[in-house]
Amino acid sequence: MKGYLGMDKMCLNLGPQHPSTHGVLRLILELDGEKVLSAEPDVGYLHRGLEKMAESKNYIQYLPMVDRVDYLSGFFYSYAFCNAVEILNHIQVPEYANYIRVMLLELNRIASHLLWLGTYLLDLGAISPMFYTFREREDIVTYFEKVTGQRLMYNYFTFGGVRHTDIYLNEVKNIVEKIYFKVDEYESLITDNPIFISRTKDIGVISKKKALDWGLTGPNLRASGILQDYRMNTPMYDDIEYDIVMSSEGDCYSRYIVRIYEIRESVSIINQCLEYLTTIELPNIECSRVPILNNPVGEIYSFVEAPRGLTMCYLNSVGEDTPYRVKWRTGSFYSTQILKEVLKGVNLSDVMAIYGSLDVVLPEVDR
Amino acid sequence: MLKQLYLSTKAILRGHYTVLKHLFRKPVTEEYPEIHPFLNPKFRGVHVLENCKGCGYCKRVCPSNAITIIKDDSLPSRYSIDYSKCIFCGNCMYYCPSKSMKMTEAFEVATSNKLDLSYDVENRRM
Amino acid sequence: MNYLLCTLMEIPWLPKILAVIITSGIAFCIIISLLVLTVIALVLIERKLLGFFTQRKGPNRVGLWGVLQTTADAIKLLCKENIELKHADKILFTLAPIMAFASVIVLWCLIPYNSEFHLINSSVGILLYFFFASFPMIFHFLAGYSSNNKYSILGAYRGLALTASYSVSIIFSVLSIILITGTMDLDKIVLYQSHKWIIFSNVLGFIVFFITSLAKLNRCPFDLSEAESEIICGYHTEYSGMRFAMFFLGEYAELFVMSMLIVVLFFGGYLSPFGGYISNTFMGNCPISSYLIYFEQTIWLFIKTLIVIFSIIWIRATLPRLTQFSTLNLFWKYIIPVSMINLIIIFLVRF
Repeated sequence: MKGYLGMDKMCLNLGPQHPSTHGVLRLILELDGEKVLSAEPDVGYLHRGLEKMAESKNYIQYLPMVDRVDYLSGFFYSYAFCNAVEILNHIQVPEYANYIRVMLLELNRIASHLLWLGTYLLDLGAISPMFYTFREREDIVTYFEKVTGQRLMYNYFTFGGVRHTDIYLNEVKNIVEKIYFKVDEYESLITDNPIFISRTKDIGVISKKKALDWGLTGPNLRASGILQDYRMNTPMYDDIEYDIVMSSEGDCYSRYIVRIYEIRESVSIINQCLEYLTTIELPNIECSRVPILNNPVGEIYSFVEAPRGLTMCYLNSVGEDTPYRVKWRTGSFYSTQILKEVLKGVNLSDVMAIYGSLDVVLPEVDR
Repeated sequence: MLKQLYLSTKAILRGHYTVLKHLFRKPVTEEYPEIHPFLNPKFRGVHVLENCKGCGYCKRVCPSNAITIIKDDSLPSRYSIDYSKCIFCGNCMYYCPSKSMKMTEAFEVATSNKLDLSYDVENRRM
Repeated sequence: MNYLLCTLMEIPWLPKILAVIITSGIAFCIIISLLVLTVIALVLIERKLLGFFTQRKGPNRVGLWGVLQTTADAIKLLCKENIELKHADKILFTLAPIMAFASVIVLWCLIPYNSEFHLINSSVGILLYFFFASFPMIFHFLAGYSSNNKYSILGAYRGLALTASYSVSIIFSVLSIILITGTMDLDKIVLYQSHKWIIFSNVLGFIVFFITSLAKLNRCPFDLSEAESEIICGYHTEYSGMRFAMFFLGEYAELFVMSMLIVVLFFGGYLSPFGGYISNTFMGNCPISSYLIYFEQTIWLFIKTLIVIFSIIWIRATLPRLTQFSTLNLFWKYIIPVSMINLIIIFLVRF
């Protein structure tokens, strides 16, 4: 029998098949007892070639594909691609469509954060929060199914607006009201819990400089104390008032706090959209509108603040039916990168706490 | 230190109370094969054709090349969709010029034979 | 049991040694069938309760409301293949689950189920209990060590670290009970509580013992030696089929027997919580009632045990998992000093 007891160091392959790598991340850890000496994230097990695929499909064909870049926040990717094409072709998006988009994006952000909250607590060993958050996420996802036709792969945003305006505003109102109270329920379970605090406070601290150096964006960056929210630069959000949630510690706990408060902020944004959408009369659009795309030569870089950080879509057109090159910049990829730095010197039991708090979704990393 | 102990005990008890409350709530799960999930009319499931003229636009917008149309004179004689390729994106429905493509609420297309997944869609005449 | 042994001993043609074997054989059969049935019921209860706590239905397919689900699971585990590992230490690998389970059976024999049925009636019952209760942990470590898997080794180490943290405080809190009652005999401890349960005079001791027994049972929030989100399954990662079932049975049997010990030590064991027995009041003085009392005592014991188990499952549904360092921290910085203070207070009150 070849034992590991005599060795000084142990090399542990965490993943790709592991209960809590949220997909297929492979972490090559060098362990001394329980202490992690070095960590090397290895990605690419879920690579589907979504960027290369764009080069052989025309714009309309590629549009349903982009929801699959990150199946938990499909609207954001849809929006980023639509926005790129709109800028390229100089298509004006009507104001009501902008508001519908903002509302759906924020609902999607809530759904994504709720899923993160449940699975993160599951990583830490608590069972119930997972089911509670999925219960509320189910409402949102069912609403998405009602509006767009499917629960995760929406294909609802089009170049120049949305597919149809048959959106059930009353239902959104109910969902949002419910979620606002349910967040309190989650907080009563989690926020003050001393075990949760001991698992997350001062664990996996990412300093301001480190966060900027490694290119973190989104809630992970804001938890490190940097006021950076790309919603500020998105013209869609111009008429909407919202606070940017920020925390200065940069540990797992502040990442949790930032996300919890972002859910509340999203609720207030949705309420503002609802206020606007209920006052105006929505035009009745039929969904069979075929956009006329001239696709001039040009390079576009469009961005949106997704739940997992900044999402950018680089679109290079040479005037053909198909894009010459599409490149996605996703937040999770950068969050995975920083694991190498953050996991150094932590305990094995904190590896999952840190990795979970960064909210990585593997399909988004590999594309 | 006593205050901290009091606060943490209070937080733990509050969490326990929250969980206990759920013991008396009704289960939210649905037993799937017995109780069919409620699906909305917009749900994108298996396709149905009504008065298809065979223009072939759906074939051009399909991202996964799942549609095969064999034309006979001007009307399509065979219209088949390969459900092992179809991703149910709904492009064929959205961009159909004559709005003859519809997607139904049927979503149970699983079979044990891959060849069964490619079949002809009936073209209803209204 | 003593009664049975005496009758058998009096039969002139029966060798005395055979009488002992027959008696212990019957006792063993009772215990093992009780154990398996209880564990099957317990796993079902846990899964159902966890379902209700999270607004689900729990298992509901096999049998009426899923009551046969765990039975089906047990049969499935029996039929499954035992996977032989190439690089494992074969003897230890096979021995560990058997021994871990066997030591739990001994624990079941140590508990007084009613005033008559008490298999190992020793004057140092508590001591014996903790002697045998330390066995499963050793064999869990050996299982993790022998299966030659990195996750198993990590789980085994964590189990050792956990033992280092809880074993001191569990003895201190038991000492406080021995100080109060003045005996180590579990039967006498139960009878001591016929007027007042020990929990009323030893609240701190109960809290310490309860938290420590959670750690001893590897239950949430101390389930770090088999934390599935970190080290897959800990020491039994490589086990499958009947060998895994042994660990599983042993774990839940230990949960049940530990809860019974909590009841015996703090909640009056098999004694009725209302003073008198129901069968006594209803049946009057008829001859059956004296036998019915034994059954009633066992039922009281089980009801109290189930309440304790409910709270353990409730805790599992609520709390996240502690890390190994915070567990050591919690025990050595808070629980052990508290148990020592408790011991001193009880010593001062008593003498």
